[in-house]
Amino acid sequence: MSLKTRPLSPHLQVYRLPLTGLISITHRITGVFLCLALFGVLGLGAALAGGESAFLAAQACLAAPLGQLLLWGSAYALAFHFCHGVRHLLWDLGWGFDARRLDALAKLELAASAALTGLLYFLS
Amino acid sequence: MVEFTLPANSKVLPGKIHPAASSGGGRVRRFAIYRWRPDDAENPRVDYFDIDVDECGSKVLDVLIKIKNEIDGSLTFRRSCREGVCGSCSMNVNGKNTLACTQSIEDYVGEIKIYPLPHLPVVKDLVVDMSHFFAQYASIKPWLQNDAASETGEQARASGQSAAGEQLQSVEQRAKLDGLYECVLCACCSTSCPSYWWNGDQYLGPAVLLQAYRWLADSRDQERESRLRQLADSFKLYRCHTIMNCTDTCPKGLNPAKAIAEIKKMLAGLD
Ligand code: HEM
Ligand code: SF4
Ligand code: SF4
Ligand code: FES
Repeated sequence: MSLKTRPLSPHLQVYRLPLTGLISITHRITGVFLCLALFGVLGLGAALAGGESAFLAAQACLAAPLGQLLLWGSAYALAFHFCHGVRHLLWDLGWGFDARRLDALAKLELAASAALTGLLYFLS
Repeated sequence: MVEFTLPANSKVLPGKIHPAASSGGGRVRRFAIYRWRPDDAENPRVDYFDIDVDECGSKVLDVLIKIKNEIDGSLTFRRSCREGVCGSCSMNVNGKNTLACTQSIEDYVGEIKIYPLPHLPVVKDLVVDMSHFFAQYASIKPWLQNDAASETGEQARASGQSAAGEQLQSVEQRAKLDGLYECVLCACCSTSCPSYWWNGDQYLGPAVLLQAYRWLADSRDQERESRLRQLADSFKLYRCHTIMNCTDTCPKGLNPAKAIAEIKKMLAGLD
């Protein structure tokens, strides 16, 4: 029986990711998303520099429902990526590995990123 | 390599249903078990066994043994100690890796799904090929490296060891090995780790890294430098992205992710 014909046992198909695992993959997804969002920031910068009509057009885009969704979606993504980034840095210092507190800390992260986004909303 | 779907020959098909023996009257629970045999070219399948759990021991392994004894003698799985110390009966039960012999059936509601450890070549049914895992274990030299053990009694006394050349440890030094020496090398953690799924050919994975740390943390070992040098590699060690599946799943309650972080700290000079 050659090794090649052996089936590969199921992995993603059967594994139930714990909350920390889900958060981890979300950190990567938000990281990639934020890279894309930076193009949006570039676009806004160009509009700022592009005179009154470009500025008004950009303002209208941002005010539209889709624009608002993208804006606050990005804000939450950044807040979340930041919070989990901080958690990564704490982990790298050897702090926060207690298995019993993993879920609680993950929920704290999600709540803290919501709070940060809320803060941004009230400041804006 | 990252490959989210299973190869064509590994897709799992529905299999046979074995209804409960009618005699009972106890609580019947359904066990869905992954099957594959090398004898023909067929794909893996899931067989369903309805078992009266009042007629059976309380652990997942008891059910497997009951099925093998009474329903289907060809059901294949590894086990030896049936008390969580040999590490042979590791498998994936309801989406999480565990030792079948210490895992209570009562911890689950509804159907109980039993699969082999994830992302490994299947030898038969729940038995997977672990040769690569053990080769990786061997690569970290999992033994005490200390030339002082061959000192004469005289030299040993002079360097503070006992006359017979024993390697003494203080209580504190010994305590550093707690949470490390208990590992039974079941590979539950490594095969729960997405990084190990995608890069397991080079990434050592949580079990082997916890073992590596077990020797790094041992005050009697003299090869800390060369051990660290061997690990300082973007693939062997730094594929760990602190996903924490390993710590979540370890059936012995150990913390491989923390051990990995301690190695990273040692390499960063933070220790
Ligand atoms: C617009 C701003 C940002 C962008 C575009 C960005 C993008 C990314 C990307 C693409 C990754 C790789 C993801 C992965 O490999 O899993 C990453 C990882 C990371 N980011 Fe960000 N990031 C941003 C802001 C931040 C901030 C403000 C922090 C502060 C805490 C942060 C902390 C981290 C850390 C610690 C990692 C490493 C995670 C790991 O080890 O897997 N990032 N980021
Ligand atoms: S650390 Fe835990 S899960 Fe990993 S091999 Fe050791 S006992 Fe098994
Ligand atoms: S913490 Fe590291 S070793 Fe553990 S599951 Fe995550 S990536 Fe794998
Ligand atoms: S049979 Fe030994 S650990 Fe389960």
